[in-house]
Amino acid sequence: MQIMINGNRMEAKEGQTVLQAALANGVYIPHLCYHEKVGAAGKCRACVVEIDGMRGLQTSCSVLAKEGMVVNTQTETALQAQRLVIDLMLSTGKHDCLACEQNGHCELQDAAYFLGIERPSILYADIDREIDTTSEFVHVDRNKCISCGRCVAACNGTVVNQVIDFGMRGHSTEIVFNTNKKMADSTCVQCGECSQICPVGALIDKNSIGKGRIWELDKVSSVCPYCGVGCKLELYVDRKTNKIVKVEGAEDGPTNDGMLCIKGRYGYDFVGHPDRLKTPLIKENGQFREATWDEAIDLVVSKFSAIKEKYGPDSIMALSSAKVTNEENYTFQKLVRTGFQTNNVDHCARL
Amino acid sequence: MTNDIPGIKKSDVAIIIGSDTSEGHPVIAARIKQAVMEGTLKLIVIDPKEIKMADFAEIYAQHRPGTDVAVLNGIMHLIIKNGWEDKEFINERVEPESYEALKAEVANYTSDYVEKISGVPAAKLEAIAELFGKAKVGALYYTMGITQHTTGVDNVKSTANLQMLCGNMGVPGGGVNPLRGQSNVQGACDMGALPVCYTAYQPVATEAVQQKMEAFWGVKLSNKPGCTMTVAFDKAYEGEMKAFYIMGENPLISDPDLHHIEHAIDNLEFLVVQDIFLTETAQKADVVLPATTYAEKDGTFSNTERRVQRLSKAVNAPGQAKHDWEIHQLVANKLGLNWNYGCAEDIFKEITQCTPSYAGMSFERLGRKGLHWPCPTADHPGTPVLHIGKFSKGLGTMFAIPFKAPAEVPDGEYPIYLTTGRILQQFHTGTMSRKTPGFNRLAGPHVMMSVEDAEALGVGNGEDVKVSTRRGSIVTKAFITKRMPKGTAFVPFHFAEAPANILTNNALDPIAKIPEYKVCACKLEKA
Amino acid sequence: MVDQNLEKKILELKNKYPRKESALMPALMLAQKANSNYLSEEDIEKVSAIIGVPPGKSYGVTTYYSMYNVLGKVGKYHLQVDTNIPATLMGALEIVKHLEKRLGIKAGETTPDGLFTLSTVECLGSCGTCPVIQVNDTYYENMTPEKVDQLLESLKKGVYPERAVEYNYGTACNVLLKNRGAKDATSIATYQANGGYKALDKALKMEPQAIIDEVKNAGIRGRGGAGFPAGVKWGFLAKNTGKPVYLVCNADEGEPGTFKDRQIMEYDPHLLVEGMAISARALGAKLAFIYIRGEFGWIADILEKAIAEAKADGKLADLDIIVHRGAGAYVCGEETALIESIEGKRGQPRMKPPFPAVEGLYGCPTIVNNVETLASVPFVVEHGADAFKKWGRENNYGFKLFGVSGAVNKPGVYEYPMGVSFKELIAAAGGYKGKVKAAIVGGLSTPILKVEELETLKMDYTSCEEHGTALGSGGVMVIGEEFSIPEIALRTIQFYAHESCGKCAPCAQGSHTVVLILKKLLAGHGEPKDLEILERIVNTINVVGSTLCPTGQAYAAPVKAMVEKFRGEFEALIK
Repeated sequence: MQIMINGNRMEAKEGQTVLQAALANGVYIPHLCYHEKVGAAGKCRACVVEIDGMRGLQTSCSVLAKEGMVVNTQTETALQAQRLVIDLMLSTGKHDCLACEQNGHCELQDAAYFLGIERPSILYADIDREIDTTSEFVHVDRNKCISCGRCVAACNGTVVNQVIDFGMRGHSTEIVFNTNKKMADSTCVQCGECSQICPVGALIDKNSIGKGRIWELDKVSSVCPYCGVGCKLELYVDRKTNKIVKVEGAEDGPTNDGMLCIKGRYGYDFVGHPDRLKTPLIKENGQFREATWDEAIDLVVSKFSAIKEKYGPDSIMALSSAKVTNEENYTFQKLVRTGFQTNNVDHCARL
Repeated sequence: MTNDIPGIKKSDVAIIIGSDTSEGHPVIAARIKQAVMEGTLKLIVIDPKEIKMADFAEIYAQHRPGTDVAVLNGIMHLIIKNGWEDKEFINERVEPESYEALKAEVANYTSDYVEKISGVPAAKLEAIAELFGKAKVGALYYTMGITQHTTGVDNVKSTANLQMLCGNMGVPGGGVNPLRGQSNVQGACDMGALPVCYTAYQPVATEAVQQKMEAFWGVKLSNKPGCTMTVAFDKAYEGEMKAFYIMGENPLISDPDLHHIEHAIDNLEFLVVQDIFLTETAQKADVVLPATTYAEKDGTFSNTERRVQRLSKAVNAPGQAKHDWEIHQLVANKLGLNWNYGCAEDIFKEITQCTPSYAGMSFERLGRKGLHWPCPTADHPGTPVLHIGKFSKGLGTMFAIPFKAPAEVPDGEYPIYLTTGRILQQFHTGTMSRKTPGFNRLAGPHVMMSVEDAEALGVGNGEDVKVSTRRGSIVTKAFITKRMPKGTAFVPFHFAEAPANILTNNALDPIAKIPEYKVCACKLEKA
Repeated sequence: MVDQNLEKKILELKNKYPRKESALMPALMLAQKANSNYLSEEDIEKVSAIIGVPPGKSYGVTTYYSMYNVLGKVGKYHLQVDTNIPATLMGALEIVKHLEKRLGIKAGETTPDGLFTLSTVECLGSCGTCPVIQVNDTYYENMTPEKVDQLLESLKKGVYPERAVEYNYGTACNVLLKNRGAKDATSIATYQANGGYKALDKALKMEPQAIIDEVKNAGIRGRGGAGFPAGVKWGFLAKNTGKPVYLVCNADEGEPGTFKDRQIMEYDPHLLVEGMAISARALGAKLAFIYIRGEFGWIADILEKAIAEAKADGKLADLDIIVHRGAGAYVCGEETALIESIEGKRGQPRMKPPFPAVEGLYGCPTIVNNVETLASVPFVVEHGADAFKKWGRENNYGFKLFGVSGAVNKPGVYEYPMGVSFKELIAAAGGYKGKVKAAIVGGLSTPILKVEELETLKMDYTSCEEHGTALGSGGVMVIGEEFSIPEIALRTIQFYAHESCGKCAPCAQGSHTVVLILKKLLAGHGEPKDLEILERIVNTINVVGSTLCPTGQAYAAPVKAMVEKFRGEFEALIK
């Protein structure tokens, strides 16, 4: 179908909201509580627009596009309302972008940039909320929380861990963990869904703090190395240090829809761990010594050949791995079958 | 899994049996919980431990460890008795004589009899049978709680019996769905890292297959089925098996009856370990070869729903570490095999040429969403749901399976059931997960026990407890929880400092050779 | 402590509702009462476990509604003084001062002996009988310093004094206040003796659609404040959905200046029950709810008794009516917030569409009507739409209750035809008391009118609109010359900031910011830009749709009008 946005004819799909249609056509409308995964909430009111034939302002996140609809996202009334929302959010929180981990992928920052709000102008509230650093993996700063509700919706509706909720009321509303416990004392399983969906710097992956600006990192798509669900990952890599500094669930991951568990999201330390094996080792007199690849491969081949010669091919057993790739399982069994002439190859599927 | 993960939204009811899903497979647990909260799915949980998923269940049944067959037979008995079975499916898709045999067998499993064996109250069993039997589409999920038994194969067959009985095979949202425990355990099987078959389960003993593979690889091949890992360790223990080449595994923590394994490894003439760390097993090796992690390589994993997905290299490997396939190529070429793979994609291309179920795949086609095998041709969309319309073998076979008790049950000396498994914050032998300090602070070694048993023992939370079986004993911290039933203890197997597999029984399933990790008898003492 | 006995009661509650979550609020209230008026973390966790909801959800509920005491313990007697506008206009602040002096504590504190906690609270719905002190569950109205002393003496002895009732009322229509003043007015016998339940008898012989048509023809507009025609709303009810239909009576009377619905419920409960029975029949509802604000505990008891009587007398046939008590949240007067509250959640408005008539309570088609609207239905059915239309004019038919408070000699509730002149209404209320400078005529959310604007005002929707205000709930507050409009503005915005549900940003943060600005002005620190910012906020939020629900406009419109009409008073505060 076709709709008019700001005087331009644009294509919209059946079932798309005005916001979705606008974004798909490259028209930005500020929005903070809407996220594809948790849907429209109509809470932040930053996405209000004017639509011909409809009274007052409409939240573009909730109104479905209709054939011939005429939408104006930038009338003075709409812009004034959008600006007030963003200005109030900036003014009633502590949004110091300079050292904020979210800088560069903060949706509040994007909205302020778009609306040309250089600094907050409604400075009356005195904000000083205690920062909760108790959790192993999630840093909680309620001074930056804009009560968008995405984490609450995600914790209850997406990962269904039912830990985060809203407590208090009015401007005192804040996210709470269980009965307002510290995050570490709550039933939180630290899946990190909340930090991934947080549009601002309120819920941050602790291990990533100070490890690199988002625009300096490369994003690489992979698959989680832990259980067999096959959650798709986005690895954020610092090329200069050759380190993974952050992991997110891929929102288009077909099995995980962006979700991960504590291991998939935070269990990447082993990759860059100092104890990693860096050279082949050969044991001599009960002690390992570093060896070259040539030495090691020579030894392996000569030993296996000798044993095969002496005891027959079936005296050799090969254990493959459920943690290496298909390609490597393939080459391993091919090696065993074509090189050692035995079918003695197995892996730990049963354990 | 016969079915796909997104299909969870299409189930009306699901049974979780023998899977602590939110600990072992949290993202699948999340999807099941979503469906429960959205009201599309009613959940049944059957587990000795009152797992977190039980909080979301319509019905939770606590059965004694190792009594799965009895419970499943009992459910089937009630379904048949009440006429809730899918008669059309049975008529069209199941071998009639096998159904008759099943019917005759399960007829013995009255609710009262099942209650006696399993401890599941008759009324609860009846409620499960009604909810599951009457539902349109029912799924069944399990993990090692079904397989790691001396009756593992019986258990698995029983789950299939139930799903055929209810016509839940070949239906979106249905199926028998074992949840795989490691990132590429499905792929390792698909790729022929099994003693009896090449890729895509093509049997080594079948002549046509042997000829095909000999032609494909240009090498003479053995048609003699190989040893399973558990049998290989027994042979090593006996001195029959001489050399092991172990890639990315740590049997010194993961295998049953560790004293036995250690002895077997010490007996070897030559041991090569290829891994990313100097694991407990690698320390025993003669040669250690440094390999790369998932983040350092390109390639594919096949997940629990048979979806083949790509991973891409993110960081460089440390030092001289090489990809596992590169190391294989070095060894192969030293043996004169003349391999010439330039990258993972070269290998994948070769895989598609000898693996019918992967034949239609390419790195490009896998893209960001992957493809479910079987995907036989380049224009095939992949197969999220298996067995639609017909089983690959034709008619489905049901099996009459009598209940058999576990190899070891509690007695006067060892009065407590011991069961082992995973916890959320750690993984397998800890090679990967224990390198993250936060995980170790959140989850260390422990024995989970009931409030009643702890009181009887006089221990408090966090106090030391000695857990002993006929194989050995460990000392670990008490974790007292209402989720454990009286008379059952649980020890996670991730921890080298308190290895659960010192305690476990190496009694094997006669067919699958899988050890009975989920049941043995132990005693608890204040340490 | 949640003991076994209490657990049993909670399980009974759980069975009473179609969904277990609905039992959460009453269960938490029971637990609080069992624990000396305080809810501990343990209580919350225990109740959550019994009901089967996550503890975080319960915590969210307990800290949302003001009647749960979670954040701090309160004394044996919790003295809550209404200091909202009507109360302030009628001397509540003197009562607070007097109490502070007598108890030796400030508002918000508890006496060292743990006997008394003093709080100032928002509108208690007793505007005609202010000042009012709520002691735990009991209202003491028309308070004077002398009466306060007597109250304290009695409470110290552990005795709740008898509630003295001294209301002013009057009726020119004799429908909604017909039984007012009758002996045993709340009993079914009295009600029937005076002709009650005849309309229901008639309705039972009518086709449901005929009832709907009659109500539609009468053109009765919703009496809760928004003024949407009730018959049209009924017409929106989704048909043949296969789901049950619910009728909900909105008895969450909370708009400051409004105290009309309680007159019906407290003195003629069967009128409401009959209205609901007829409406439920028309709509096909088998289960109905009366959502009554939690502070009206004794009125809820009266309603429950009336329902039981009606049920016993066979009046309700297969209809059940559950009286569901709120727990202190103004926003629950908004119909979707009210529905959320019945569902055991934080009472916050939903996005619309879907509208409740399509997807309301438990996702089922639901009609929410105000008490007065439903209480008007028996008349319409018994006497016909034309009889109803004898009163008022096009778009403004029928009789209406008006609450009059503030600077008048006889504050109280008066039943008049729609379109009665403001002057006549004030005359009925004893005339102005002293010199008057303005009035708010439709509840606190409507724009203020200067005294000269009141001269030509008629009390109906059309005339109010023509005068730049709204009829709202018909709550008239007369403001004496001695009051400062900036102070009234502050008191107004404090109410809305306190009651803002916090769901949408501009309402929660905007109202709070306006409070801070007005406080700054009144403290003598005002700068010109402060007034600019204040106007920017209220002008922006006054646009429909800038906030999730009308609460944003409910505070923007009155504050905007106060600044515009009394700008001089605001500018005088700026250096």
